[in-house]
Amino acid sequence: MTKFQRFLLKRLAISVLLTLVAVSVIFVVLRLLPGSPFEALVTSGNLNQEQITEIRAMYGLDEPMWRQYVNYLTSLLTFQFGYSILRSQPVWAVLEPRLINSLILLVPALVTTAILSSLLGMYAGWNRGSRLEKFSIVSTTLLRSTPVFITAIFFIIVFAYNLELAPALGMRSIRATPDGYIETFASLDFLHHYLLPFAVAVLYYSGDFLLLARNGVVEKRGSEFLKLHRAKGLTEMEQLARAGRNSMLPILTYFTLRLGMIFQGLILLEVVFSWPGIGRELVLAIQQQDYPLVQAAVFIMALAVILANLAADVLYAYFDPTVSASGGGSA
Amino acid sequence: MSTGTEREAEVYKRVDAVWTTVCDQFAFLRQDRLAFGGMLVVAAFVFLGLFGPFLAPHDPIEHTVRGGDGSVFRLTAPSAEAFFGTTSYGKDVLSQFLAGARPTLIVGLFGGLGTGALGFTVGVVSGYYGGWVDELLMRLTDLTFSLPFMPMALLLLTFMTPNIWLITAIIAAFLWKMPARVVRSEVLSVRERTFVKSARASGASDLRTMLYHVAPNVLPIGFLYTAYGVAWAIAAQASLAFLGFGDPTMTSWGRMLRQVFASGNMRVAWWWVLPPAVGIAAITTSVFLIGRAYEEVINPEIQTDQ
Repeated sequence: MTKFQRFLLKRLAISVLLTLVAVSVIFVVLRLLPGSPFEALVTSGNLNQEQITEIRAMYGLDEPMWRQYVNYLTSLLTFQFGYSILRSQPVWAVLEPRLINSLILLVPALVTTAILSSLLGMYAGWNRGSRLEKFSIVSTTLLRSTPVFITAIFFIIVFAYNLELAPALGMRSIRATPDGYIETFASLDFLHHYLLPFAVAVLYYSGDFLLLARNGVVEKRGSEFLKLHRAKGLTEMEQLARAGRNSMLPILTYFTLRLGMIFQGLILLEVVFSWPGIGRELVLAIQQQDYPLVQAAVFIMALAVILANLAADVLYAYFDPTVSASGGGSA
Repeated sequence: MSTGTEREAEVYKRVDAVWTTVCDQFAFLRQDRLAFGGMLVVAAFVFLGLFGPFLAPHDPIEHTVRGGDGSVFRLTAPSAEAFFGTTSYGKDVLSQFLAGARPTLIVGLFGGLGTGALGFTVGVVSGYYGGWVDELLMRLTDLTFSLPFMPMALLLLTFMTPNIWLITAIIAAFLWKMPARVVRSEVLSVRERTFVKSARASGASDLRTMLYHVAPNVLPIGFLYTAYGVAWAIAAQASLAFLGFGDPTMTSWGRMLRQVFASGNMRVAWWWVLPPAVGIAAITTSVFLIGRAYEEVINPEIQTDQ
């Protein structure tokens, strides 16, 4: 077994362990909540004691805590998420379309911003001290540091309310009754609703990529290998391309990490735009104390991060010769 | 007696030395216009946070703005009676804005400092020692990374009554992972440098090497992430308040935005949206700009040929 394979195996084991711990933390936090998950149901509906006992038995809440924990673990890890209390349908049936809706908004936005902002950042770093550099840094700093819901509110006020260029809320207009994903997403109406949240997401993440790329190029500018390239007679752009390629690793790693945190990073964006994604669904579920839905959604978010972290570490160890995979930091 | 004064003199000397260091650290403010502008905004914000509630012309929640005939001013544009207009309940927006700076300041300052200090310590210790210490701390970091901040914070705040210090603690408990990871990766490369190795070889203890040789070299990034921590904490607090999980006893900018958003008056009441939104955007951006200018001055690699 090579060093790299051993590193990979160890990192995989850690990820599995981490998933177990994260899932257990979620279990503890949820069981700490006041009252039983059915309090809302009992107080709102007209259930008698017998029905309550029956429902509790149905959800396994009458069993001892350790049994509940084991049941919870096995069901979560086999993706059997149970039934949503308030929507009375399987949790997965509720979450799946929401998950797709989130992905279709956030993944293209992240990819777009990673490419465009990195290129802009490299160019800005190469032209150190230029107007473009200053302006791009200030504007992306403003966009990155302002909480995303405030940017979203500004965009809604300007582009939806005043200029009336795009609708402010939802994913499709109220009258639309699409059937299936293709009909939902392949339409002008969807594109119309897509514009604003997409733009806000792209701008929100632009700052990190821009700065990573810019700092990478600035650091490389004085280095020996670029002097060689200059001596060889390469043009400015060719030199920049080589400096840029050498600062790709942090950007790639950062992209992977961001991809994992994609569901949790833009919950408020979905809330403000009423985008029917997993983040907004989770906030609603927490407010309505719909536990099965909450634990499934949090689990999916946690799993995404764990997998992305794994990918980022492996990428880093694979590509960067200065970080040894076995010794030193030992991962 | 004489030993007493000697000690005093020694103390003064030390305080002086610390003061000079602090002044040196802030010298970049004079060079960078953006950072200087950011500093002004931060100063204004700190002033608002300290004295805002006393400056407010009315109580932000109790007082209702009324006209001469006793009718309630609901959702009126800025006027002589209410400089920033009124909310849909007839409350004074200016008073809410002034009073709302304080929770933002408290959470931002302490959340940011907590994040920076915790993350820096974890990062240095983890990166310096390596081995099982590093393994343990980094897996802990991974754990806080994987537990999604916003949902976990919302869950915790549903069964504990939200108050400002609890929110600060939750934010720091979730955000320290950011500086920790970055500081650690810096330490990993510093640790391999010759001067650290020679310090170890000449018999310096682990603690001494960490404090005097490793930490100063990663301090800029620690400071930078403390500044980012302040901005993140403010953003997180505003986001929580916007979702309705803020401190219910305090008016905050995030809560104002929640009220205007939930009441559906965003389309008309620009005077109700702008003050809190601009306030939050201005303070978070300023803190970031200061942090960034600091990075430019301190980081020798970015300085290369200028």
